[in-house]
Formats: sequence, structure tokens, C-alpha cells
Amino acid sequence: MREMISMVVVLTVLSAVSGGMLAGVRMGTKTRIENQVLKFQKAPAIKAILKNVTNDPLKDRFNIKDKNQEVTFFLGKHDGKPTDIAFETHGQGHEGPIGLMVGIDINSDKIVGVRVTTTTETPGMGTRANGDSPFAAQFAGKPLTTVFKVKTDGGSIDVMSGATVTSRGICVAATEAKDIYMRLKPEIKKKIAKM
Amino acid sequence: MAQSIAKEFTKGLWEEIPPFRLVLGLCPTLAVTKSVDTAIGMGVGLTFVLVCSNMIISLLRKIIPDKVRIACYIVVIAAFVTVVELVMQAFTYPLYLKLGIFIPLIVVNCIVLGRAEAFAGKNPVLPSIADGLGMGIGYTLSLTALAAIRECFGAGTLLGTPVFGPWFHPFTFMVQAPGAFVCLGLMLCIMNIIGSK
Amino acid sequence: MENYIVLAISCIFVNNILLAQYLGNCPFLGTSKKMETAVGMAMAVIFVLVMAGIMAWITTNYFLKPLNLEYLTTISYILVIASLVQFVEMFLKKSIPALYSGLGIFLPLITTNCAVLGVCLINLKEDYTFLQAVVASFSYAVGYGLALVLFAGLRERINIARVPQPLQDTSLGLVTAGMLSLAFFAFKGMA
Repeated sequence: MREMISMVVVLTVLSAVSGGMLAGVRMGTKTRIENQVLKFQKAPAIKAILKNVTNDPLKDRFNIKDKNQEVTFFLGKHDGKPTDIAFETHGQGHEGPIGLMVGIDINSDKIVGVRVTTTTETPGMGTRANGDSPFAAQFAGKPLTTVFKVKTDGGSIDVMSGATVTSRGICVAATEAKDIYMRLKPEIKKKIAKM
Repeated sequence: MAQSIAKEFTKGLWEEIPPFRLVLGLCPTLAVTKSVDTAIGMGVGLTFVLVCSNMIISLLRKIIPDKVRIACYIVVIAAFVTVVELVMQAFTYPLYLKLGIFIPLIVVNCIVLGRAEAFAGKNPVLPSIADGLGMGIGYTLSLTALAAIRECFGAGTLLGTPVFGPWFHPFTFMVQAPGAFVCLGLMLCIMNIIGSK
Repeated sequence: MENYIVLAISCIFVNNILLAQYLGNCPFLGTSKKMETAVGMAMAVIFVLVMAGIMAWITTNYFLKPLNLEYLTTISYILVIASLVQFVEMFLKKSIPALYSGLGIFLPLITTNCAVLGVCLINLKEDYTFLQAVVASFSYAVGYGLALVLFAGLRERINIARVPQPLQDTSLGLVTAGMLSLAFFAFKGMA
């Protein structure tokens, strides 16, 4: 019996101490990790989408709670006036989620541009959606009333040949972006007015 | 005393160099040796975990009840692995992305648990640290050597810089899964030839 | 339904856990010398992996995510797996002794089989739904078993052959695994 108790006590204490230590390390590294994720994953996409802004969208960012998740918005300003916002949404690809950074012009409610941020698609196939691809360029300038669907599903977006699933995933992410923007528009305006 | 500590340290560098002499911890050996930078990153991470867990386990060796020792070892190791994971994420994010799930998988790297069970659980603190450090450095060296061969022939580069002229056509087989197995097998064979002399 | 079949095939063949993702190699080389042990290990892995996949999914989605404790993933997964293995071992010993005598000796080895933890982490990374996670865990395990049994067959044949001394055992084992991996590489074309 004594053995049992010592076993339980030692294991519990050990787990508790490790848990506590990790919580400490986590606290210490949290902001740094967030900055690193911004710097290496989101920054290139944001810079590419919000080309004509004069501020640093990475600094002018704010969070809004949407349903059960926090969405981070990056604000682009031109000569001190807010013009665009960018935020990330997700769609399902062949081999996992695809992250899509979507930029929206808040004055005309048009898409400024989209960029794929994270993807695990087969190299050479889905990855063609990265960078300045003609596929991603199709979204630029479209008003938010557009239905983002690939042509085979009755929409207006041309698929990347051989990568239908990826193309669909990106359309889903773009549609989600549209929905989020429409839903949160009043709150976004409020936040921007304060900045 | 100093002599025996030096011995524990150096045995990991040649006599029992992992993963060649101790055939343990093969999975990361195959997976992260596509390029030299990931191999070194993995080696450093593993060395840190090995030294810290050896130290703590050796300190606690009289308190830990025999029956649940493996569970206790795993908790200690997993805690340090998570520290490595968080620190890598905070300071070397691109490396963290490249190593992916192989950082958390250090937990089940047989070398770490093997050293805890075979050495740290029975020996005092200082030799255990020396053992962990030696094994970790030995492992890093092996990984780096294997990665250098694979990156050199498979991609024609070393740490990202081209080593051959433009005439070189990369032998892509080497950086893919089958090449990893074959390359490690042949290296073991060479080690056997050198060792038997 | 179609999606699940595609997922299963991709996990068994295209992304074979052993030969394409390099996970679970230590027991792969250790238990593949005889067909009998290989089959035993394969069965034990399938058994534990499916349960571990389910438990890990529940842990993540009902404990870690709601409590924002995602940084404790590694430590909680390995504890779940270790206790699961212990529990399965005790359960089999008491209730199904016949199965225990077959799988028993392999069970403790599975805690440190990186394929088990690896699959749980892959499921997490891919953000699978519950059903997807179950299908993926099972298919990965089947792929593992398949590779192990195939490899054991090759190794039994090699044992009869005369091999130069330095190449013996693990060394040639790895080279053979490379050849098998090359064969599985062909499945990449299917994706």
C-alpha cells in the first residue's frame, strides 16, 4: 500500500512540476512565437496583397471575436486614411488545410488580392497557387457579391489544371472570408475609427 | 573521478556512437538528414533534451519508485522536449517548420529513454551529464555526416551553397526516402569495416 | 465515402508510415528477422494505434483545445499512449490470455514506437475530424503491418544467402528496406 501511495505521489508531483515549468516557458515565449509566425508566414502574403499602403499593416492589427474564434485583421492605410484590411481564412485541400490571406478594400467592398499562406499540397501541384499565380489573380478586383466557385461547380473561377481540389479549397476559403467580413463589418468599422 | 567522467563523455563519440554502434533512434536519423541545417538543429535539440533529462533523472533516481520509473522518465523527457519545441518556435521559426513533427517525436527517440534506463537511472549526476553530452554530440556528428553526404549528392549543395559546378546533375534519389535507407545501410557497413580492423 | 477510401489508400500506400515517412524504424528492424514476430508486432501496432488515435483525438478536442493548453500536446499524448499500452496489456492478460501470449511481448515496445505518437501528431496537424482520424490511424497501422510483413519475408530469404561480413544484419537490412521503399515510391504516381 505504501508503495502504491509513493508511486501515485511521485508521478503526480512530477507531472505537476513539469506542467508548471512548461506553463512558465510558454508565458515567456508566447509573444515571440506570435511575432515569428507573423514574420515568416503572414508577412510575405500581407505585403504582396497590400502593396500600395504607406503604413506597416503588421503593426496596425486588431482582433475581433467571431463565433468561437479570434480573427486577426491587418489594416492597410494610404496617407493616413484606412483603405484595406487583410485577414486569413482556411479551406480544405487534398492533404490538409490551406491558409488563404484575403485583402478587402473597405471603401468599395472589393477583393484587393489573395495569397496562399500555408499549404501541404503535393509539390508542383497545389503549390502553383502560391506567389503571383494567374489563379490567385482571378480574385483581385472582384466585388464581394461574386459567388466564388470554380466553373465546374457553376461559378466563375477557372481551376488550376490538375489541381481541382486545391482550387475548390481556395474558393471555400475566399467565400468564408467574404462571410466573415460581411458579418463583422460594423465592428471592423468601429475598431478602425478608434485607431 | 575526472578520468571516469571523461570516459563517459568520449564513449559516446566513438565506442558507442549512436546511431551506428547503438542502433537506436533511427527515425529522425532518416528523416531530418535531407539537409545539413536540419540535421544540426535536430542534433542540438536532442543533446539538450538528453543532458537535461539525464541530469534530472539521475538526481531523482532514489525517489522514483521502480515500478513507475518508465512513466516518470517519459514525463521528464516530454517536458524538456516541449521546452525545445517552444524555444525553437520562438527563435528559429523556419527550422521549426522544417523539422515539423520530428521535434515532439524526440520523446520517443529510443536513445533518450535508453540512456535514462541504462545509465542515468543508476549513476550519479556528473557522469550522467557527461554521458548525455557525449551521446548527444556523437549523435549530432553522425547526423551531420549522413546529411552532408545526402545533401551533397542529392541536391548538389552544402548548407544551401552549391558545391559542384553547373555541370552537376543532382542525384535526387539520395534525398528521398529510399536513398535514406540505402545511404545509412552503406554507412553502417563502412563503420563495420573500419571497426573490425 | 469516396473521400475515406482515398484517405485510406493514401495512408496505406502513398504515405506509408514506415517507408515514406520514416516512422517506427527501430522495431521495424528489430522484429522483422522472423515472419512470426513480424506478424505479432504488426497486429499489436494495428490494435494500439487505432485506440491511441481515438484517445489522442478526444484528448485534443475535449481537453487541450477548450482549455487552451495546446502546448501540453506532446506530454499528454505520450502519457495517454503509455497508460493505454499498460491498460491494454493488463486487460489482455486477464481477459484474453490467448491473444496476450501472441501480442504480449510486443506491447511494452510499442510505447516507444514513434509510429504511434507520430500518427497521433499527424492527425492533429491535418486537423482531421473524428471519423477521418479513425480511418487514418487504422490505415497507417495497416500500412505499417504490410511493410513489416513484406520486409520480414525478404529478410528470411536473405538469411539463407551468403552476405559479406561487414554488410551483415542491420546494414543489409537497411539497404533492403531502401529497395522496398523504392517499390512503395511508385505509389506516389497514384496521388
